[in-house]
Amino acid sequence: MNPEQVFRVHESPRLKKPSLIAAWMEDAGKLGPQVIDFLVQKLDCREFGEILPEGFFPMAGVTVEDDVTQFPVSKFYVSDEHNLIIFLSNTPRTDWYRFLNIVLDITHNECGVKEIYALGAMVSSAAHTMPRLILSVVNSPQMKDILNPYGIISDMEYETPPGQKPTINSYLVWLAWKRGLPGASLWVPVPYYLIQAEDPRACKRYVDFFDRRFNLGIDTQELDDHMSEQNVRIARLFKENPAVEGFVRRLEVNQPLEPEESERLAREMGEYLNRP
Amino acid sequence: MGIRFIKEPELINPVMIACWPGIGNIGLIAVDNMRRVLQAEEMAYIEPWDFFYPSRVIIHSGEIREMQFPASMFYFKKTGERDLIFFIGEEQPAEGGRVYAEGSKAYAMANLVLDIAERFGCKRIYTSGAAVAPIHHTARSRVWVVPNSKALLPEVKKYDNCLLMSDIEGRGGQGNITGLNGLLLGVAGRRGLEAVCMMGEIPVYLQGFPFPYPKASKSVLEVLTSALGVPMEMESINGLAEQSEFELSSLYEKLPPEIKEQLDRLKQVLIATENNAGIITEEDKKKILEDIDKFFKKEGREEQH
Repeated sequence: MNPEQVFRVHESPRLKKPSLIAAWMEDAGKLGPQVIDFLVQKLDCREFGEILPEGFFPMAGVTVEDDVTQFPVSKFYVSDEHNLIIFLSNTPRTDWYRFLNIVLDITHNECGVKEIYALGAMVSSAAHTMPRLILSVVNSPQMKDILNPYGIISDMEYETPPGQKPTINSYLVWLAWKRGLPGASLWVPVPYYLIQAEDPRACKRYVDFFDRRFNLGIDTQELDDHMSEQNVRIARLFKENPAVEGFVRRLEVNQPLEPEESERLAREMGEYLNRP
Repeated sequence: MGIRFIKEPELINPVMIACWPGIGNIGLIAVDNMRRVLQAEEMAYIEPWDFFYPSRVIIHSGEIREMQFPASMFYFKKTGERDLIFFIGEEQPAEGGRVYAEGSKAYAMANLVLDIAERFGCKRIYTSGAAVAPIHHTARSRVWVVPNSKALLPEVKKYDNCLLMSDIEGRGGQGNITGLNGLLLGVAGRRGLEAVCMMGEIPVYLQGFPFPYPKASKSVLEVLTSALGVPMEMESINGLAEQSEFELSSLYEKLPPEIKEQLDRLKQVLIATENNAGIITEEDKKKILEDIDKFFKKEGREEQH
């Protein structure tokens, strides 16, 4: 396969040392795609390129989601006004090293990106009423300094346990470090019982951070409305189903639930919030 | 895709012994034990990037300190007459979530391994894996040997405690060796290199479980060291085999009596042939495997509590 077949750049953006925000479609609770969709829409970003799926995804039919077929996408967007590049992709199933290096070739080599933010969700057992925090893993002390003024937690001690693998975001920022490019993998904990629905608070937490970091002047009223609407629906569910409220109240005071109770909370909350 | 050298020794008439993980890690344990006992030295490694996803990240104070990948290492041991090259792959370069290697990456890795073999003048390659057989875990595992050319058959037939595929009635000399432990034989053949795969028998009821089975590794080592004429102390592999048998026997005692009764019938199996159909039928086998699967899932849940 020659390089032209691996990716397409429709029109190279002319930016001055932009930043990259990257996310993956398979993120827990679809948080990454929600944040990216919101930013792309609000910042009026335009698509400027894509990585083609062949060689990175098994071309063995299609998956169906919400009654429609899905096909792998790996797209680059640009906001000229805000000097931002945004990347949203399905997680490659093979040849990760080559794929992630193409992301860096396009954004770092071609567009001159100066820092990378790879975002995602972390499934949490905390209640939805708890404040959302951003946790980070950085690839350099320089990136830690960049994040320092924004109240982002960056003190994790961690080693991948046997049988598990590092996240693709860690892999991406590690490859960025090999190129001398500061990067951070960011997570916002999302309550496990909102994974089947949405977590607008988590989405807003990210948007607020990027708003401050890049002076975006973004209007977040839509997310505030979404949060209020979800609050109302959850309050209605609590009224109809006191057991579910009891489970959430216990999580609020760090009282763990039995596996059957957790399962019930996730199922009943998910079903209720997904009702039209 | 490249090979990085740590040392480039002068080797005399070397033989390569290569291995990747598989069922019961039989070959991996055998080959790794051999290279440890013989104190083989690190020689080279295959760069992991194009083959593997990282296996481990180490984060300290919020900062990534290390990203580790599955290793694919070459070692050497000078014996004076017939030097040895060991290749040990910690993982098979599988695509699309499969456990065993297949496709272009597997082929590329096989060729890189054989590039080293040829560079140092190897004419013979050994690989090792597992042979799933209707045997009981108290029985001595035999070793199924498969060479990559007919010319090697007279030699491998002489190996002690070994079987050819054609010795197993009903197989007609047919079978499969999944993954790189098999693929390497084919690619070696294309390059005109002799290759032999040695597969230690693992009881059929243990094939689906993530337990190592060093008892079969011991059988492989006995055959391999004899074929190579390389004496080796077996204390270490004996210890592993004994420990594993002790653990399996403890677990076995916990099995429900009806499953144990079925499995005990395997103690009568002396030769892994289709004639054993009278001892355990295919239907029995399926039921036993289902029952054991249920049993271990239940055990796992209990252990978590």
